Amino acid sequence: MGFWQKLEQMDRRWIYLMVAIAVIVPFIVPADLPISITPEAQMVFDAVEAVPDGSTVFVVFDYYPSTIAECEPMARTALRHFFRKNCKVITLSNIPLGGPSMAEAVSRSVAEEFGKEYGVDFVNLGYKYGYVAVMTGMGTSIESIFPTDNSGTPLSELPLMSKVTNYKDISFIFEVADNSTADYWVSIVNAQYGVPMVCGTTAVGAPKYYAFVAARQFLGLLGGMKGAAEYEILIGHKDDAVKGMGAQSLVHLLIIALVILGNLGYFLGGTGRREKLG
Amino acid sequence: MRTTIPIIVAFLSGLVLALAPFFREDNWFGGLKQELTEWLIIVGGFTLLLGVVSITRVNWTAVTRRKEGWGYKVLTLVAVFAMAIPSVLSPEWSTLFGRADGSIYDWLFVNLQSPMMATMFATLAFYIASAAYRAFRARSVEATILLITATLVMLWRVPMGEWILERLPGDIPYLLNTYIMGGANMAVQRGIIIGAALGAASMSLRIILGIERTYMGKG
Amino acid sequence: MAQTEPQSVFRLDRINALILVAVFSAAVLLYTKWAKEGKPLFLRKIPGLDAVEEAVGRATEMGRPVLFVPGIAELDEIETIAGVSILGRVAKIVAQYDTPLTVPVRYPLVLAAAQEVVEQSYIEAGKKDNYDRDTVKYVAGEQFAFTANVNGYMMRERPATNIYMGAFFAESLLLAETGNAAGSIQIAGTARPEQLPFFIAACDYTLMGEELYAASAYLSHEPIMTGGLKGQDFVKMIIVICILVGVALAIFGYGNWFIDSFTAS
Repeated sequence: MGFWQKLEQMDRRWIYLMVAIAVIVPFIVPADLPISITPEAQMVFDAVEAVPDGSTVFVVFDYYPSTIAECEPMARTALRHFFRKNCKVITLSNIPLGGPSMAEAVSRSVAEEFGKEYGVDFVNLGYKYGYVAVMTGMGTSIESIFPTDNSGTPLSELPLMSKVTNYKDISFIFEVADNSTADYWVSIVNAQYGVPMVCGTTAVGAPKYYAFVAARQFLGLLGGMKGAAEYEILIGHKDDAVKGMGAQSLVHLLIIALVILGNLGYFLGGTGRREKLG
Repeated sequence: MRTTIPIIVAFLSGLVLALAPFFREDNWFGGLKQELTEWLIIVGGFTLLLGVVSITRVNWTAVTRRKEGWGYKVLTLVAVFAMAIPSVLSPEWSTLFGRADGSIYDWLFVNLQSPMMATMFATLAFYIASAAYRAFRARSVEATILLITATLVMLWRVPMGEWILERLPGDIPYLLNTYIMGGANMAVQRGIIIGAALGAASMSLRIILGIERTYMGKG
Repeated sequence: MAQTEPQSVFRLDRINALILVAVFSAAVLLYTKWAKEGKPLFLRKIPGLDAVEEAVGRATEMGRPVLFVPGIAELDEIETIAGVSILGRVAKIVAQYDTPLTVPVRYPLVLAAAQEVVEQSYIEAGKKDNYDRDTVKYVAGEQFAFTANVNGYMMRERPATNIYMGAFFAESLLLAETGNAAGSIQIAGTARPEQLPFFIAACDYTLMGEELYAASAYLSHEPIMTGGLKGQDFVKMIIVICILVGVALAIFGYGNWFIDSFTAS
């Protein structure tokens, strides 16, 4: 078997090893890379900037712990952005496993940076089963769907919630999702109740939502860790997403190199020629 | 009777929720919609018990019959109950119960489950690299266009790649964002989204009208 | 005291959406009626679905099981219902061939529905005694625990055929790549545009978008089911015409009123 044939049939474990090295090296030898801002990320920043100071907003934690690397920097940055504008933040999640816990942990840690008080400046509603029913039901009454917050305190005992009945009292929604719940926030909440919103999602999910941005159903879009890094730069607080760009850069370049090598093997190793000859 | 009542229930509840957006909420119809929505949330919560029963039954049977790998099934059962039982006990009895900071559930979630989930997701990078190596072949003109486009988009989405693209003639990042992502990609996505939405609406209508009954075990 | 005009119970501002719902429902019902009356309705071939029977036959010849994953979403997701409906059709073929079937699920409600569907298929195939209640099993509520379990099953049992039909997310490629490595024939179907490239790369056949919803009707060979598909196609044609008219009007600067008539107030 010639070199090119061997290359074409390379054991996938070699590829795994190369990916592992490409992920680890940038964390040992970090590089400060210039990151450009895409129009969609700029739109997210502008949309949040345009929310009147002191308004009440939703930050939705619709992602699983598995996508923390891509999604948490977006949620964290959004909270910083809103708290900086003295907005009142209500967090909730349509993800049973980890969603409410992550909303609690992230919102409390960011609130501490800004000296915000739970119940007055921010509230975590937690999770309820059935996201379509939850989104529809909150259009009439948030309290009928979430009688208590995530830790079991009745909403009537939380000063922030005494001013909030339904979507009419919500000025903006910042949805961070790694799944299709974003589609329902658009079709139920944005389309039927007219609440403006933006979305942060994983890199793989982002291409689908360009159509929603063009239709102004999302006022902006953050795609994957790159989108999160852009948002961090825009609010002037570089954090985990900017740090992760090195590893992501190297893995992307590796995959491109592998695709080129694979094609060389395919054509020079004989398979491509045989296929062409039929 | 076994299917007639479920079909009637599906028809009535489906009809109310399908028509709800066309009625104002501050009247009896809005109240009915809200009532059904709350029922859905409550009924859904109870169904979680079904899962616990199934996972226990399937794994317990494997353990008692000493099926191959039964030791792992024991671990599964231990994990299910170690996480579930303390989380449903009242935090008033002990700070270890419930789901707040410092509880057993929280400790297991933060230190075991969350890293394991992130690890599994991270393995995608390895699989994507391997799949790209095997599947991305310039077999035809279409495949070659796909390959070149994917390569450019991948370069554009990372700083090192942008650095490379900026050194090439023409404003490639702008062209990619405008014509590939905002042009070809968006047009295709819209086509699939509209088609899938119509498919979903048609399926919903078949279910509401009782034409499609396969999901309840009827052909 | 000034009296206020009593508000209408209806949302008159949403009349445009109501008209579309009415037209859509009428088209589906009308085509279903025609189908019932025996009017022939043409359905284009869907190679992925034609391959299902062949793939089950292959599993029988090899003496290996068929794996069916009805997506990983809840039963309130219409894609899951479509997946469960297709499962019913596949289970009937599997029962006829006496081929082992495994259906891992992620949600308890899907478990209950899938068990019911598979049992009924075995009964209809006259193979009630061959039905094993644990054919459909709840595996895990967490996405990647579910994936790990299914991947482990694929590597251990090496099913001859893997069928993925429903809503899939990040696990799509993990499942399809493992199935590919295990040497299984793979047929996938999802309405998630973002997951389609992964299935196309790693599976033998992929149903895209609405093909998933059409699959149950297609496999059933029942005219009444195909009526819904034709109605759907009719509305799609109307949408295509509206898009073309809108584009033409917008190009010549007369499009605003037309576009506004489609927007939510």
